[in-house]
Amino acid sequence: MGYIELNVLNQPVVPKQTGALGIDLGTTHSLAAIWKDGRPQVLRVEGESALVPSVVHFPREGAPIVGRAAREQAVVAPKDTLFSIKRFMGRGLKDVQQELALLPYAASETERGLIQLEVHGKKYTPEQLSALVLKKVHETASRALGETAPTSVVITVPAYFDDTQRQATRDAARLAGLEVLRIVNEPTAASLAYGLDQRDKGNVVVYDLGGGTFDVTALTIEEGVFRVLSTAGDTHLGGDDFDAALMDLAKREIAAQHGVEVLADAGFQQALRLACERCKIELSSAPRAEIHLMLPERRIAWRRELDRAEFETLTKSLVDRTLAACAQALSDAKLTTSAIDEVVLVGGSSRIPAVRARVEQYFGRKPHTELNPDEVVALGAAVQAHILVGGKRDVLLLDVTPLSLGIETMGGAVSKIIQRNSTVPCSATEGFTTYADNQTAIDFHIVQGERELATDCRSLGRFKLRGIPPMPAGMARVGVRFHIDADGVLTVSAKEETSGATASIDVQPMHGLTDAEVEGMLASSFEHAKDDFEARRAADLVIEIGTMVQAVEKNMNAARAGLDKESLLDLEDALAKAKQATQGRDAKALQKARDEFERTSLPLAALLMNNVAQKALMGRSLGEV
Amino acid sequence: MTMDPTSLKKRLLQGSRLVHPDFHGADPAARALAEVHSARLNRAYETLADDARRADALVLLLGGPSETVAREMPREFLVEVLEWNEALEEARTSKAWSPAVAQLQNELRTRRADELAAVHTLLSNPLDSSPTQLAQARARLNAVRYLDRALNDIETLRLACGT
Repeated sequence: MGYIELNVLNQPVVPKQTGALGIDLGTTHSLAAIWKDGRPQVLRVEGESALVPSVVHFPREGAPIVGRAAREQAVVAPKDTLFSIKRFMGRGLKDVQQELALLPYAASETERGLIQLEVHGKKYTPEQLSALVLKKVHETASRALGETAPTSVVITVPAYFDDTQRQATRDAARLAGLEVLRIVNEPTAASLAYGLDQRDKGNVVVYDLGGGTFDVTALTIEEGVFRVLSTAGDTHLGGDDFDAALMDLAKREIAAQHGVEVLADAGFQQALRLACERCKIELSSAPRAEIHLMLPERRIAWRRELDRAEFETLTKSLVDRTLAACAQALSDAKLTTSAIDEVVLVGGSSRIPAVRARVEQYFGRKPHTELNPDEVVALGAAVQAHILVGGKRDVLLLDVTPLSLGIETMGGAVSKIIQRNSTVPCSATEGFTTYADNQTAIDFHIVQGERELATDCRSLGRFKLRGIPPMPAGMARVGVRFHIDADGVLTVSAKEETSGATASIDVQPMHGLTDAEVEGMLASSFEHAKDDFEARRAADLVIEIGTMVQAVEKNMNAARAGLDKESLLDLEDALAKAKQATQGRDAKALQKARDEFERTSLPLAALLMNNVAQKALMGRSLGEV
Repeated sequence: MTMDPTSLKKRLLQGSRLVHPDFHGADPAARALAEVHSARLNRAYETLADDARRADALVLLLGGPSETVAREMPREFLVEVLEWNEALEEARTSKAWSPAVAQLQNELRTRRADELAAVHTLLSNPLDSSPTQLAQARARLNAVRYLDRALNDIETLRLACGT
């Protein structure tokens, strides 16, 4: 007698979920984790990978496809299949030329500098695309949990994401119908997953080489407080760049054989990308591997073997760049490599043997690799989510803002107001005055970055301060307060001090969605949301009833032998009705059929339980039980 | 002026446990208040943990001149500054790490420690500090600021050279 059959008949009562999800929204894949039974756990559906590829495919007709099924379309329909969406978050067209050169997408820009990717003549912002990925992750989490997953979430971003990229991530979550409790930095989240059981003092470095970004964070753990000392990184450096190094090699050699024309073909590019990625992954476990490209329709059958040494030579400069960022992080933290007690590797690309070897050599100690580098960030996000819903008070995360915040001065230089690596939340108040008589407004340009000139930094927005009472030049005393909250997101407020008037601020974000735009997108998605929801519920019920039918049919012999006539008739009747019901797609009718079927199968469940108990006790004396 | 970094850190951790927004998320008003207090706590820690910023805050607290009002450095310092500027300029243009730069870095670090020690002596009885002492302390802190900028440039050069 199988345990599963009994379980199906006696639907276990699952306690109401009040928790929050931790979501790692990655460049190449995303996943969710939740705090359960006293520890963070990755949410995976039995028999499937927990990783949802961050890929969206738009078929010519019908709803977009997200995840694994979408990725399979990459070679067949490269222009309708969007990868690496995260690289476009909060970016303008000029920021992503490097990415667009590698990806076969049509891109344009809105008048406010928002990038849009175009498929089948329709334009999508990265926020909308990420929202689709987030929805898929949430749906997968719900399937794994066997009930609707919490809609309160903690989402991770690369530590080196600037304010616009963080805002874009928040907007994506709002579009997906999720409530963001916190945006957490990926390496910091990873340290939570690793250091959870470690209450001792210690300096830790987290080296996070993901699909599209590199981050390094130095932090100190003391009495359960994880205090980030510094963070450095590169939002244009990740596993994709290792693939690209292999692609460059392959393209050179293929062009020599087949001519350069083939290189421009989108299908060829995607196929080559996947072939190079496969080769890279194989090289992490084998000393030699080959790039294998079969495209019969283009008359290409190409193989190229390479060993680790050659791969290391091709990618040396990439690893050099990560180590330069490590040196920067240590310098900012005022630490030397000898003061580091632990090094933690995170991100799929940290599996590359050369990366591991060089990190070990640089820090002079073996890095931690116990946890799955693909999962550790989501696990940490689940820990932070648990803290934020009030479940845990013995651990606290103190994070920093990765980039300095400043104001453009006359002449285009930057006056820094908040230094990089300041612990958040943090605020600073800066005094300003008027330069002309009776001037009633002042313009500000807020930028983020370390460069000296405003044009070299990221523009966060232009602010106009209005409502200053007329007075002689230089008399007004305007205090502008900048506050970076615990999410690393900036707010600005201002006050004219001589008159006591609170000046109003107009914010014109250079990037990101305005509230109105988010509302508009939400409204249009709500139109379909109810239908989508009903359809999904119906589909779930059909599956559930199907499993119940199977279980009952398997045990009909036992039912005939053990049930009274009336119950048996009821059950046979309900079985037929349940089968009938699964032909329909009306959620209400299905729910009714399911409930009815469950009720009538209860006597059978009781009987089976009894049988199991008897079998277990058979041949034993009472004293043995 | 004297501060035990270990106990200061302990105070930061204790304070953070009380006021960090993570523990006050449920109620928007409480969360907003937690943001304000956390930001204040973090600023206080950053000021107190850095010896130069701590001294700067103390001079201001005692009614001494601010760096925007009193910009001069100690007289004997100015001669050295000219020499250092020359050495720094040379290092910046050569864009290479050399034993000479390493030596300059050591020299500047020693001078920084000396200047702060002098400030320390000047403010040893903070409440009895005379205006002259406060002005002298400010001048020495201006020298420290110069040294910090120079040391920062050298550090940038070191990172760029990958040493």
